[in-house]
Amino acid sequence: MPYSSPWYLFFLLCVLGAYAAVSAKRKWAVLLAASYFFYVLSSRYLLVFLVLSTVTVYLTGIGLNRIQDAFEAAKKDAPKETRKLLKHSATKKKRLLVSITVLLNLGLLVFLKYYNFFIEQGNSLFALCGLSFELPLRKLLVPLGISFYTLQAISYVVDVYHGKYRATNLFGKIALFLSFFPQITEGPIANYGRLGDGLYEGHRIERENLLRGALLILWGCFKKIVVADRSAAFVGSVFDGVPGSYGGIYVVMATLLYTLQLYADFSGCIDIARGSARLFGIELSQNFRQPFFANSANEFWRRWHISLTDWFREYVFYPVSLSKPFMNFSCHAQKSLGTFAGRLAPAAAALFVVWLGTGLWHGASWKYVSYGLYYFAIIFAGMLAAPFTGWLFRQFSLSRESRCVRYVQVFRTFVLINIGMMLFRAETVTDFVRLFGAMFQNFSLSPLVDGGMLKLGLDRFDFYVLAAGALLMLAIDVLKEKGCEPEIWIPARGFIGKWSVYAALIFSILIFGAYGSSYVPVDFIYAQF
Amino acid sequence: MEKLLAILKEIKPDVDFEHAGDLIGSGVLDSLSIVMLVARLNEEYDVEISPLDLVPENFRDVQAIQALLQRLEE
Repeated sequence: MPYSSPWYLFFLLCVLGAYAAVSAKRKWAVLLAASYFFYVLSSRYLLVFLVLSTVTVYLTGIGLNRIQDAFEAAKKDAPKETRKLLKHSATKKKRLLVSITVLLNLGLLVFLKYYNFFIEQGNSLFALCGLSFELPLRKLLVPLGISFYTLQAISYVVDVYHGKYRATNLFGKIALFLSFFPQITEGPIANYGRLGDGLYEGHRIERENLLRGALLILWGCFKKIVVADRSAAFVGSVFDGVPGSYGGIYVVMATLLYTLQLYADFSGCIDIARGSARLFGIELSQNFRQPFFANSANEFWRRWHISLTDWFREYVFYPVSLSKPFMNFSCHAQKSLGTFAGRLAPAAAALFVVWLGTGLWHGASWKYVSYGLYYFAIIFAGMLAAPFTGWLFRQFSLSRESRCVRYVQVFRTFVLINIGMMLFRAETVTDFVRLFGAMFQNFSLSPLVDGGMLKLGLDRFDFYVLAAGALLMLAIDVLKEKGCEPEIWIPARGFIGKWSVYAALIFSILIFGAYGSSYVPVDFIYAQF
Repeated sequence: MEKLLAILKEIKPDVDFEHAGDLIGSGVLDSLSIVMLVARLNEEYDVEISPLDLVPENFRDVQAIQALLQRLEE
């Protein structure tokens, strides 16, 4: 049930009605039942994997509580030395328990999502070595949202292990945290400490939340149906055809349109998710913060898919780079490589792990691995060049705060991001290389005026609608960058001001939406991850 | 404080840390520079900053970093 379909809106209204009808104590049960119903509709028996993750995470939390309680009770009257031993023993038990759960959940994800990829690589290796041995591939179905809820499950047990909060005794609370229907498909990846209580507490249905939620849902649907789905035809014509059959300006336009499509699609889905949650009085975290105003690739990832970046920073980058082996490596590197390179080397190694993981998280193929490593290369190059750029700024008395410098940096980042998007959309790395090369062949701007652009699935009207949609998205991002929050500001306007925006969005979706017989329905892109 | 400022200068030479305001919100300290900073602080102050200490409140400004170091030294 796609979030932008009328069926989802009907489902949402039914859940909202049921949520309003029951007492505050039972509201969580309505959300849980709705979430499981939503899940079964999409994934049927694959629900079993979600339940398995939920049960393991819940039991691990209970186990961690018990170990901690036993330690607290035993240490009360124990002498200092014994307390140390007790703490060591409790930590060891907790670490074992958490490791098993993390490995089990990660194992399920790896098996279901990456099994065939690894087997294919193994078989290629066997063939390369001249062995006729071939491991069989399996037809595996990937459960909806497994990449998202697995990260949430891991963050929960790791946080409880670190004592950030106490594990809950309520199975329903964990089940709802891992399955909440607005975010199960594409996130945002939630943290139990920030979302758990908000989900479980019963909220009153309030007018302000309904207005804000509805606005977010409409804005998300506008981005998805009017902008993202309309771009798909042109993008598909260039990227899905024989690589190299289109070159020059066609590839540039297809790449720009794909960047627009992905942004409108993913951020639109997140808006619908946040709006749906807001109807119930639940606040989901932001996943985007005007990403195309970033002045570096590093900053781009602090603005794009924020919940994934946060997760990798908190649960991979920091623990890896502050682990004892890495700290020892850092000391050793500084002694043997000098101060600058010595400090850079451990950070770069931890960064490599993070970007390899981020690439693989997106999918089981070399293309996604390359996508992750592309960003590693850019960010690492930035780290390497930092002393030189600092020197350059000093020599030419340039200020990093100056508007001109910032525009140049934003433009440079936009170009780099678009190259990354080209790799992300291409079928394979080889196709990306061909497309990238084709961009510089027979480059001419004439298709922009001689009608050549209008032969790839979009007519003049489509381009006008896309341009208007993109400009509107840009205007909203500019407002947000300046600190204005349209999702709060618009519902607070007077009768005419407020309802004219709602009506304009509804009519825009109905009139300009890419649906009907002339358009092929497009699934939400990140739902496949 | 001067020792801390000198370390911060090593990591980000172009920044006036005493008057920089919110170091996290403004993006002056990102995750990479925090990791480099932590490695230096662990070395210089003989403390062990763990991943759990890496929250924005502890690195918001020079005073917050100083307070974290004092807490850990105690």
